[in-house]
Amino acid sequence: MTKETQKKRYAMLIDLRKCIGCNTCAVACKSENDVPLSVWRSWVKRIEKGKYPNSKEFFLPIVCNNCENPICVTVCPVQASIQRPDGIVYIDPHRCIGCRYCMAACPYGVRYINPVTKIAEKCYWCHHRVDAGLEPACAVACPTGAILFGDLNDPESALAKAVARNAVQVIKAELGTQPHTFYIDLDQDAVEAKEEKKDR
Amino acid sequence: MDVQVLYNIVHQEAFGMNIAIYFYLTGLSAGSFILSTLAYGFGMEQYRPLGRVGVILATLLLIIAPLFLLIHIGIPYRAWHLFVYLNFESPITWGSFLLILYPINCIIYGYFMFKENMKLTRIFGLIGIPLAISVHGYTGFILAFGKARALWNTAIMPILFLVSAVVSGIALMILVCVIKDRFFSKQKKINMQLLENLGKLLAWMIVFDLFLVGSDLLVLLISHSDAQDVAHLILAGGFSPLFLGVENLLGKIAPFILLIVPKFRNLTTLIIASLLVVIGIFFMRYIVVVGGEFIPLI
Repeated sequence: MTKETQKKRYAMLIDLRKCIGCNTCAVACKSENDVPLSVWRSWVKRIEKGKYPNSKEFFLPIVCNNCENPICVTVCPVQASIQRPDGIVYIDPHRCIGCRYCMAACPYGVRYINPVTKIAEKCYWCHHRVDAGLEPACAVACPTGAILFGDLNDPESALAKAVARNAVQVIKAELGTQPHTFYIDLDQDAVEAKEEKKDR
Repeated sequence: MDVQVLYNIVHQEAFGMNIAIYFYLTGLSAGSFILSTLAYGFGMEQYRPLGRVGVILATLLLIIAPLFLLIHIGIPYRAWHLFVYLNFESPITWGSFLLILYPINCIIYGYFMFKENMKLTRIFGLIGIPLAISVHGYTGFILAFGKARALWNTAIMPILFLVSAVVSGIALMILVCVIKDRFFSKQKKINMQLLENLGKLLAWMIVFDLFLVGSDLLVLLISHSDAQDVAHLILAGGFSPLFLGVENLLGKIAPFILLIVPKFRNLTTLIIASLLVVIGIFFMRYIVVVGGEFIPLI
């Protein structure tokens, strides 16, 4: 198969060994995608383990996983959530009716209702930038180069090499959604929401 | 080992009170319709007085219920997208057709019933039964497809919703029959025999409902960690007063005792028991919808 006819499958790799928790990715995302106040397309979850002096902070930058088997596309009643052939899942803003079913079904909590337009939105790896040959805003902005973006099916891409050569994890693999945001050095406690059970 | 979340975002609530009310009203409607067809569809003559009340209630409730969906969705004037851009994998798409077909069938069935055309009434009554079951069963699938939420993602959810729909439908029917007989009938006399039959039916449906809730809970308690978390949330956490006290003790066990012990059997206890059931099932919907998405996912 030649390189031109090969099907693209975009993926993201976040190297948590390099992440310093500076939130630059979250800020870049907000600015690039014009995300209103109170909602986030990507954010950095931060937890602390242990007691001082034997303690450490862990960071977990969260973006949409752009799953291979996305439950949000399955449950959307108006086909507003669409999976592109290259794997990116996006929302048609003219189609969405704001029923919030995708928000209820998404296991990663990455979707939100835009308080201004009242439709569902989420991270789609800045597909407007990717289509123009650029990288997503968060990947460009990251000062330590912890975020890699590229074509998983292209064995020569930096992303495919890094995924092949490292032990990578995904969030909630057991749900069968086949997430395509990979992490290196992912801590289980950072993923779980155990300590967050708040009183409402 | 301490794990302390220092920063995370607050997630918006996906399904809230509006959806709980919507589920509650469709449940009442499906329950009333099934009761209405007992005489006109299946020929159980002792329930004949329920026919007309049942179909009027079923139609009215199902006309009100989708209004809560329109309040819920972000852009109501785009609701026509549901009928044009179809996704047959989504339970909401099934529902958008059921919510059109079922009230239309209710109106036709009611029309022939009031025209005393027994043959057509029976036919449309029997067509209506699968529609009534679907129109409430699909709401169970809406929740069951939310696969990250342990309280929702269970195959028992549609049948649990159907049984609680019948329970709440019978209780509402008892209340409406009392009001109708007392204030709007010619004799002003209450048909006690009918109400006692309904009371017995209600008592045994409550037992079935309790069995389903119990089996759901038992499996949650020994399933994966998210399921255990949500089981502890409704048994010992913030939702336990509502779940144990209101839904199950006041909404199921107390009415069952009032209905089943012969000493208590009179009109007042029947009304109290029905009121408790109607309130209890509302809290059941609320706990399932709001409690299910209470624990953040990430």
